[in-house]
Amino acid sequence: MLFELNHVSKSFADGRRGRAIALDDVSLSLDAGQAIGLVGESGSGKTTLIRCALRLLTPDSGSVVYDGMNVVDAGRAELRRFRREVQPVFQDPFASLNPRMTVEQLVGEGLIVHGIEKNAVRRRDIVVETLEMVGLGARDLPRYTRSFSGGQRQRIAIARALAIRPRLLVCDEPVSALDVSVQAQVINLLQDMQRALGLAILFIAHDLAVVRHFCERIYVLHHGRMVESGDRASVFDSPRHPYTQALLGAVPIPDPAAARERRNLRKLNRLALGGAAFATETR
Amino acid sequence: MIQSRTEDPALRPGAAAGADDRPASAEGDTLVEVEGLTVDLPHRQGATRLVDGVSFRMKRAEKVALVGESGSGKSVTARALMRLNPKLTVAGRVVVDGIEVLGLPERKLGTVRGRRIGMAFQDAFTSLDPIMPVGEQLMEALVVHGVSRREARQRAVRLLAELGVTNAEGRMKAYVHEFSGGMRQRAVLAMALIGEPQLLIADEPTTALDVRIAQQVLDVLEDVAERRELAVLLITHDMGVVASFAERVLVMYSGRIVEDANVESLFARPLHPYTEGLLGAVPRVDRSVERLVAVPGVPVPPGERPAGCAFHPRCAAATDVCRGVVPPLRTFGSRRVACHHAEERGASDAV
Amino acid sequence: MNLTIARGAFRTAPPLFDTAVYAIVALMIAMAVVGPMLAPDSVYVSDIGNALMPPSAAHWFGTDDQGRDVMWRVIAGSRATLLSAMLIVTAYSLIGVLIATLATVGPRWLDETLMRMTDIGLALPGLVVALGFAAALGPSLQSAIVAKAITGWPVTARLLRGIMRQTMTAQFVVGAQAMGVSRWRLMTRHVLPNSLDILVVKWAGDIGAAVLVLAGMSFIGVGAQPPSAEWGAMIASAKGYVANAWWVVAAPGAAIALAAVGFGLLGDILQVRRDPSLRGRS
Repeated sequence: MLFELNHVSKSFADGRRGRAIALDDVSLSLDAGQAIGLVGESGSGKTTLIRCALRLLTPDSGSVVYDGMNVVDAGRAELRRFRREVQPVFQDPFASLNPRMTVEQLVGEGLIVHGIEKNAVRRRDIVVETLEMVGLGARDLPRYTRSFSGGQRQRIAIARALAIRPRLLVCDEPVSALDVSVQAQVINLLQDMQRALGLAILFIAHDLAVVRHFCERIYVLHHGRMVESGDRASVFDSPRHPYTQALLGAVPIPDPAAARERRNLRKLNRLALGGAAFATETR
Repeated sequence: MIQSRTEDPALRPGAAAGADDRPASAEGDTLVEVEGLTVDLPHRQGATRLVDGVSFRMKRAEKVALVGESGSGKSVTARALMRLNPKLTVAGRVVVDGIEVLGLPERKLGTVRGRRIGMAFQDAFTSLDPIMPVGEQLMEALVVHGVSRREARQRAVRLLAELGVTNAEGRMKAYVHEFSGGMRQRAVLAMALIGEPQLLIADEPTTALDVRIAQQVLDVLEDVAERRELAVLLITHDMGVVASFAERVLVMYSGRIVEDANVESLFARPLHPYTEGLLGAVPRVDRSVERLVAVPGVPVPPGERPAGCAFHPRCAAATDVCRGVVPPLRTFGSRRVACHHAEERGASDAV
Repeated sequence: MNLTIARGAFRTAPPLFDTAVYAIVALMIAMAVVGPMLAPDSVYVSDIGNALMPPSAAHWFGTDDQGRDVMWRVIAGSRATLLSAMLIVTAYSLIGVLIATLATVGPRWLDETLMRMTDIGLALPGLVVALGFAAALGPSLQSAIVAKAITGWPVTARLLRGIMRQTMTAQFVVGAQAMGVSRWRLMTRHVLPNSLDILVVKWAGDIGAAVLVLAGMSFIGVGAQPPSAEWGAMIASAKGYVANAWWVVAAPGAAIALAAVGFGLLGDILQVRRDPSLRGRS
């Protein structure tokens, strides 16, 4: 058990209306080297969950435990270890990298901050090695992020995280902002890195197809509650919770015949509801 | 509810349309005919070609998906149909319901915009004015064409209700930002459809929406298209949406059409390597694969189109001819493909 | 300063116009640095016999009531006015940055305290306070400089605090925090470098305004005193002669206007370069 959230709850003050509950008794766990997925739409609370997981927010109740250490109460040394071994990869490749730092500075920053390699020359070597792992190279060292494409920036972000050899990557929608052909590249890269480095990955996404491809175990978050969890096969082939079922039913399948079938079923459904034209949103 | 039109008699494009590299379609029900469309972005050192000689047709009530990634030129192409690109240089031939759009004087564009073609933009704040109530905007579109305020109001409410907006009457006074995601898209659709156009261009209508809402919006789109015999040009990068919605698919890469086929054929037997790459790159929710087929490289930005086939640097099957000669869009039965190796990949005139 | 109006009025292509502005500003700075060294000593020496002579080949802008060459006095005085203005703005900008940084990175109570002080600073009419200071310290150029420098920081502080707080929420800053970057490094490597580019814009524009204020204070009598060639003081001592000898006021007046407008437009140009979407707005 490398990382777990135990019965975490978090609420925020919500203007005049009291408190809004972002997370309600949420639990998840992952083992070393495991890729688990968290599926959540907007408003599900996944942003809050990520922040709690990265110790950027303190839960109101419940605990966040990393490698036996209670993250919230951790002392300085333990916290430093946590910050070194747990790294984020964010969604927006344009906003997640400091525009005023060169690639070398970005990828090397972790090495400086954690005192891993103080010698500048050896540090550069590690940076180059990491860049090559993600498909970039030494020629990219002095460049600024603005001259790179979205997919390349995500690679830089991944390199930045990997340079200090973390044990857990927390990925928040890492491929959502990328072109389709590039998404596949980054997904494959993450998979390769996971296998090569034995990384555990917490992969948060709203795209169920990506989550299915990447993760062995899945959690489904809905309005702050964990409504379903299980391994890939059971969640996707026999979902139990109606929300999961609804979600799976709504994901468009790139297969015209199957899609047509579903469409006709939905149409029949709508007509059967007696002309109540369209299902409306719950919000 | 198709109202009668009182304008210039339709010109029948007919076979005089030019080169014979276009699929045969019943001339009588051709709604849109685009031929040799080029769009350039002028700048100090010259111009960047965003769309390079695009030709295609759409029939009435046909549902076509226009697929591409960044730099493909899909949005620019769609906007060119209504000349919505003020800063760009557009050339070629665009005929909509018999009207030659590119030659129209500015003041006559109103016969096309909103009346023959309605556009639903991805960003609701592009389609709708944020500081005016939605109902007002819908009504205004009709009132400027001589419809009485009362009738305009009725039509607007009816349209909103038809699109599934709950409490349509009350929502008329609401502002765009007061609508939630899916309702917002419906408002955007309403704005596009209020003029009762024959073609609806929907630019990435579901991209920013949650999965279930996206599905609802697509269903709404489908129902309204069927009811009104509306042709739809759906711009998207999501192959799942394409499979769910389209009858025919146009795949664009670097400002050119690389494949044009009906949806079943495209998915079953993609001919162009790029299409094949796109399909292989998409993970599926209903089955697992060991590894995604990633197309190497990045979609080429508009100013950097290579010589020959724009896709050749990323294509595993590229040969010398691909590097030197731009592949023409050739017809094989009811499909078109722009690849020098189309025959080897299975293209034939047998439909 | 409406850049588009100015450009439109001159009807020149933007690059040409920008170059003209850069040239003017550069020229003025050069004048301020080098001018006083080149000016003949006669600038401070009276020569009553030559008083109030109109512009001529010998004296391009004529002579003033003491017979001194007006043009050279303007050039000599540019150091007083221009460099002082730059000094003032640089000083209070730095104070503003310091305060904003402390407010952003320090504990809540510090932020509150500093911001309330800023509020008070903003509420007091800057010019009046500066006048008060200057009068209390005894009228001189130095006291005018000090007065303006210590009253100008609230606006900068408030502006920068807002920007820094916003930068703190940027994803790359959050990511750096998650990586374990120390507060110090966070500020110096991530937040400050990405927050200060607006400062350059403000700095340029403020110099133009400071020139006006400084000249104004001298004109009233609480700033530079005669026989200093500071522009405001020049106008003050010449105001009695305006009806007969317009040139004595024209030269320094034009210099003030040119400096204020030049630096103001420089600020606008820098702002547009920073954010091209602002083209067409003042």
